[in-house]
Amino acid sequence: MSSLTVAVASGRLLEDSMRTLEAAGYLPADAWQSTRRLILPCVDRTVRVLVAKPADLLTYVEHGAADLGIAGKDMLLEQGRDVYELVDLGFGACRGVVAFPEERAAAWETLSPIRIATKYPRATERYFWSKGRSVEIIELNGTVELAPQVGLADGILDLVMSGRTLSENHLVEVAEVFRSTARLVVNRVSLRTRAEAVQTVVERLRTAAAARSRSSA
Amino acid sequence: MLRRERWQQVPPGMRDLLPGESSRARRVSDRILSQMQRWGYREVVTPTMEYFDTLIRGEGTEAGDRLFKLVDRGGELLALRPEMTTSVARLITTHLRGHPLPFRVAYAGQVFRGSETGSGRLREFPQVGCELIGAGTLEADAEIVALAVEALEASGTQGCSISLGHVGFLQGMLAGLALPDEGAREVRAFLYQKDFVGLRAILDRYGIPATRADALSQLPVLSGPGAIHDARRLAGTAESERVLGDLEDLMKRLAAYGVGDIVRVDLSIIRDFEYYTGIVFEGHTSALGYPLLGGGRYDRLLEGFGAAYPATGFAVRVDRVLASSGPGESTWTPDVAVTFADGARVEALRLASALRERDLSVTVEILGRPWDEVAREAIAAGVPRVILVAGARAVVRETRGRERSMTVADLLELP
Repeated sequence: MSSLTVAVASGRLLEDSMRTLEAAGYLPADAWQSTRRLILPCVDRTVRVLVAKPADLLTYVEHGAADLGIAGKDMLLEQGRDVYELVDLGFGACRGVVAFPEERAAAWETLSPIRIATKYPRATERYFWSKGRSVEIIELNGTVELAPQVGLADGILDLVMSGRTLSENHLVEVAEVFRSTARLVVNRVSLRTRAEAVQTVVERLRTAAAARSRSSA
Repeated sequence: MLRRERWQQVPPGMRDLLPGESSRARRVSDRILSQMQRWGYREVVTPTMEYFDTLIRGEGTEAGDRLFKLVDRGGELLALRPEMTTSVARLITTHLRGHPLPFRVAYAGQVFRGSETGSGRLREFPQVGCELIGAGTLEADAEIVALAVEALEASGTQGCSISLGHVGFLQGMLAGLALPDEGAREVRAFLYQKDFVGLRAILDRYGIPATRADALSQLPVLSGPGAIHDARRLAGTAESERVLGDLEDLMKRLAAYGVGDIVRVDLSIIRDFEYYTGIVFEGHTSALGYPLLGGGRYDRLLEGFGAAYPATGFAVRVDRVLASSGPGESTWTPDVAVTFADGARVEALRLASALRERDLSVTVEILGRPWDEVAREAIAAGVPRVILVAGARAVVRETRGRERSMTVADLLELP
């Protein structure tokens, strides 16, 4: 039987994802650091690991190009893909928040129409819709916090971890929209046609992630 | 880069099929349909468009978003069919009311989805399916599942399998939780999204005991030979127990059809709870990340059309069957190109006609070009055989090998 493919997101989830795969015994220690290869063979060849852009990760899993994947909940919420979300791996904790420039934060609930810059257009639309507010969404691919300072948007909806980027850019959080951690997702066909192999990987990663979060706590 | 004008494009989610691809699609569709016909399912054709009011009866709550809508001259709202079952239900209840039951009906055609965009999702795709209407028995379910296996086999799909579940199992489990309406809605929403992390969180929030919550979290692994046994320990309600008994019975019936090793019990199959009322199943191959086929029992649908017939059926996505077998080649060339010397036109046409009767695709030269030019271009374009007719004799040039001269009569004997 050919090996299972696990997709891992480059960027902020990369290190913890790789460490979890190491702890589960799939990757030799630090092997991922010394290479620029996008597909890594694993210790016992039952699994191979591919590295994808965070925004593309769920595409690989949904289409079955990867059987499993480690994705941020933020991407799952934003993209609404048809994949099984089975385990909260616990790492990569962050929040999706609405933030405004300090001087306008107090008035944010009465601004209308409201212009929001974000990498999460669907989550933004859903959030403001649920509040009964009309919103004009300005979709950006990075450095969203710049937008209010140059008049591109009134506020932003973005991920925050420590909140430092917000304060450095004179933005203050006004509302929390979602909380995100890394999730283990599975393709719906792999879950069935390769049930046993997939379950083994799911359980080993679940155990490894739980052990890592205990030791770091 | 050259700017592409709007008129040069097709709308998102729609596509052209080139020669080769289109003949593969038709062949797959024909083979599946023929197999259904061998089981006594008679083909019907329904209109591509229906009244919105008709389709909404079959589509449940999300229908409005899913439908491709149009406005008729009189202002009536029409929609393109998003699947065929609703149209078949309308057809049966209007044309065949009072006929003896059951009805076995098959169909093949294009269906349309208004909302699906992005990540390669098609908004128009071909489906072939069948419905068994007017029989609520397990034997009817067994027939449909066995036919689903044969439909996939007829389609030429390698290594296919059917995952068989039942909406009643999950519903029984959910009923056993005694959640308030709001909670039950939320739980269903998480199940539809296949978000088992969120599901666990909401069960904890409603104070569901850990043993019950664990049971629901086990759902994604309730598949395979031990599934019914494992599920019995988790079932918790009489309804879930009864459903497991039915599935066991059904698997025995399927074993007699000789498809027991291709069908596996999979209680994690989640399909629309509002629409399906009994078994639900999907067909897969490990070569593709999407199901090839889906179906189940829908005993409530026909009630909406004024005839409370139980029904069960499935539909195959022809586009996905093709995708699972990898890319083919598109070919614009015929099997044989015929040209002729002065005065041999009648003989050439007669030869072309004889070859066509052997099911070959044959073109006859219409530009009046010299033999060598015709032959060179045709061979270069990939035509395997080019023929020059000159009275009772002919010259044959093939992709490989030299030119041969033979009588037209001998030519007809060539393999």
